[in-house]
Amino acid sequence: MLANTLLFALASTGTDPVALPSPVRAEGELAIRAAVVHVGDGKRIADGTVLVRAGRIAAVGAGIAVPDGAAVIEHDGHLSAGLIAMRDYSGSAGEGADSTRPVLPAAELAYAYDPEHPDFERLARAGITSVVIAPPFSAPPVQMPELPEGFFFPGFSFETPSAPLVGGSTALVKVGSGRLVQRRAQLHLSFSESALGQDAAPTSYPGALALLDELFANPSGALADAKSGRLAVVLYAGSNQEVQRAVAFAQRHGLKGAIAGAPRAGELAKAIQAAGLGVICAPFSPGIETRALRAVAELAEAGVPFGFALDAPERDPESLRLGAAACVREGLDPDVAWAALTSSAASLLGAAAEIGSVAAGRQADLVLWSGPPLDLGSTPVAVYVDGQKIHGGAQ
Amino acid sequence: MHLALPRLSAGVLAAAALAWASPELLARGTRAHANGAQEAPEGGALFVRAAKVIVRPGEVLADAGIIVQDGVIVAVGAGLERPAGAREIAGEVVCAGFLDPWSTLGLDRGALRDERTSPASPTADALDLYGDDHLRLDAARAGVTSARLQAGEKSSVGGLGVVVRNAPDLERERALVVEDAGVAASVGLSVGQSRGRGPSVKDVFDRVKDVEKLGDLIEAGRKYHEDWVEYGYEIAEWEKAIAEKEAELEKDFKKAQKAREKEVEDAKEKGKEHKEKKYKEDKRPKKPKLDEDKEVMARVARGELPLLVEVHRAAEIRHLLELTAHFDQLRLVLCGATEALPLAEELAERDVAVIVWPSPLGTDRADHLRKHDLALAGRLAAAGVGVLLGSGGESAATRDLPLLAGLAIGHGLDREAAFAALTEGAARALDVADRLGTLERGKDADLLVLDGEPLVSTTRVRYAVVAGEVVVTPDN
Repeated sequence: MLANTLLFALASTGTDPVALPSPVRAEGELAIRAAVVHVGDGKRIADGTVLVRAGRIAAVGAGIAVPDGAAVIEHDGHLSAGLIAMRDYSGSAGEGADSTRPVLPAAELAYAYDPEHPDFERLARAGITSVVIAPPFSAPPVQMPELPEGFFFPGFSFETPSAPLVGGSTALVKVGSGRLVQRRAQLHLSFSESALGQDAAPTSYPGALALLDELFANPSGALADAKSGRLAVVLYAGSNQEVQRAVAFAQRHGLKGAIAGAPRAGELAKAIQAAGLGVICAPFSPGIETRALRAVAELAEAGVPFGFALDAPERDPESLRLGAAACVREGLDPDVAWAALTSSAASLLGAAAEIGSVAAGRQADLVLWSGPPLDLGSTPVAVYVDGQKIHGGAQ
Repeated sequence: MHLALPRLSAGVLAAAALAWASPELLARGTRAHANGAQEAPEGGALFVRAAKVIVRPGEVLADAGIIVQDGVIVAVGAGLERPAGAREIAGEVVCAGFLDPWSTLGLDRGALRDERTSPASPTADALDLYGDDHLRLDAARAGVTSARLQAGEKSSVGGLGVVVRNAPDLERERALVVEDAGVAASVGLSVGQSRGRGPSVKDVFDRVKDVEKLGDLIEAGRKYHEDWVEYGYEIAEWEKAIAEKEAELEKDFKKAQKAREKEVEDAKEKGKEHKEKKYKEDKRPKKPKLDEDKEVMARVARGELPLLVEVHRAAEIRHLLELTAHFDQLRLVLCGATEALPLAEELAERDVAVIVWPSPLGTDRADHLRKHDLALAGRLAAAGVGVLLGSGGESAATRDLPLLAGLAIGHGLDREAAFAALTEGAARALDVADRLGTLERGKDADLLVLDGEPLVSTTRVRYAVVAGEVVVTPDN
């Protein structure tokens, strides 16, 4: 395809091949005054002002001076950092895995997505400003009290493994511009049944683990980066049994990163915490078992950092906040829930200095809400990414 | 159960007798609530106190209390005192428990997918009041204290739905609020499933047939009712005629007897067979055949039971509206109604309520849900349509209804309208408004004690009272 060739050519020149050309940035500064500013660490500023300059937050506070010439926006509502989805397929559905090669440590999901895809607009409307593009996982059936009829798993087949064992590096991407924040955010490893095939290796859990151990015995490239701690890992596991294997593997090889997938991973919170890992919580659907929601509160109690996966476009982007609200209902502290959507998620990606909170120096990814952000009755009135408005009305 | 014939309603007699016998039941009928402590009985079972009591949408009492006894609210008002011996629970806000008008929570699993249901199929017989207790408790903890359940939920004709309370360990009599909450039907839903492929779309001709079949059913019900009414008149006439004729014959009895004896003898002499004189009154009017399904549909056609139809596509909604236009007593409620917006004006005019399912759906959705949009509830309400909110018939999702309501609010539905939809609105549509939906004297004690405004996603339910019993406390 011509597009791919072009991308490849650009890649070799070292420039960022996948972002849209940035529109000319407006000269000058932007000052947004909001009734409540959520800084992100649980702190809230009443009648706060956020100053934005050159795509970054220059200052935050109550009653800070607005420079002459700055555009001023008055918002009678709440302001917060943009939401971060820890796993998503927007603009990349179907393109994330090479089904014939289960081990591809050099693969980069940065090549799998189309920044102009309409999926991204739906993300913006839900207040989501950054997403992690990951390889597919084709989770085996989750224990739900009642599965809807004909529940369909994309890419699921009985013959070849439907998810790669080593899928490559995930990419942290900005909604709106499609700008790559991190070209290689995490190395994706799968410990799930969906990485096992019938006729193609690996075909069994021991086989898969033996292969992974071998790869990490003499690692190179991305694997070496993971082993040395330069690159975080995502350990995808569908069931709690698989989570235990993944945690043990991480400890064996000194890997740092997060467990993803298992809805009740929180029940193993202590072991996960002891291994120094975080968790990427499974996305929410109405009717999901209460145990899974309570397990998230258990993670918080054990001090395990966590974020939420979204898996759009198969799921509506509103599911991200909906899931957090459901966890709050089942006992999760609202401030911890909010952090999981923003600052904690950023920390898991090693990007806490860049995104996830409203503080000086961070990239200006802001959402202006009509009310308290954790209330589903509130809606994003305007969304800014890197200081540019990507969604919103008259303002 | 026989059709109540129009002349004399046994029901009316029975109701009168019952009301006469039990003053407590009389009290149930009263709507006014006390504005003082005067009628609070001693030793009331439960006293609920809150900074804000939402009696009904738009009617709020500050620093008020509610006294509950034997499962019923006996007093509501500001300045009430806790009766001696009563347990007290308190919180920020008290409101009526939520009613999910589109749920399957607590139904036997087989009944859910039953496609051979007919209008008289009683969902009451398909209840599994002992299994799934944890799901019921989850729903109560989220504030949904009752639900309308439907066997054969996705089949083209469902059955008699029920309204049931969500509390674990509740005996059948107290759990079942009403055994005939309405008849359900569906039009144009995708059928069956093949493993790994998802449901297949019902072809358009079958979908048209769905609507027509429904129209035929209602017509059959209406005709059945007419036949029985007519029979009622005919029987009355006939009995009157018989009586008259008998009286007439009584008068000239001897003469007629002599005349008959003479005829018999004449016939004997002539060797002919004597034919008895036939009176036209001998012919008794023919009784229509009893049919339980048609009986139920007759109640639907008369507007006694609502008809809840799950339908999504605009063309099918329009067809359904056309087909039912001449049944002017029919109470139609649409479930889902994904593409109803272009028909909003007609729906508002004809007082057709819509139960919206404000669930977030991704790209992997059934064909009839192609245009599913979270903004539907708000837009229909703005156009004057009566909007209700339901969890779409996925049993465990009843628990998440308040969050889904939050989503609908975020996408344009007025907050007060959403609250009304989950309480008074749903109760009215399902004919249980005399027992549920608002906090008034005489109504059942299904209520929530919250730590904040209802339907704000971060508000938690501290206590949930179902049928007068405290089912949820901060400890569970």
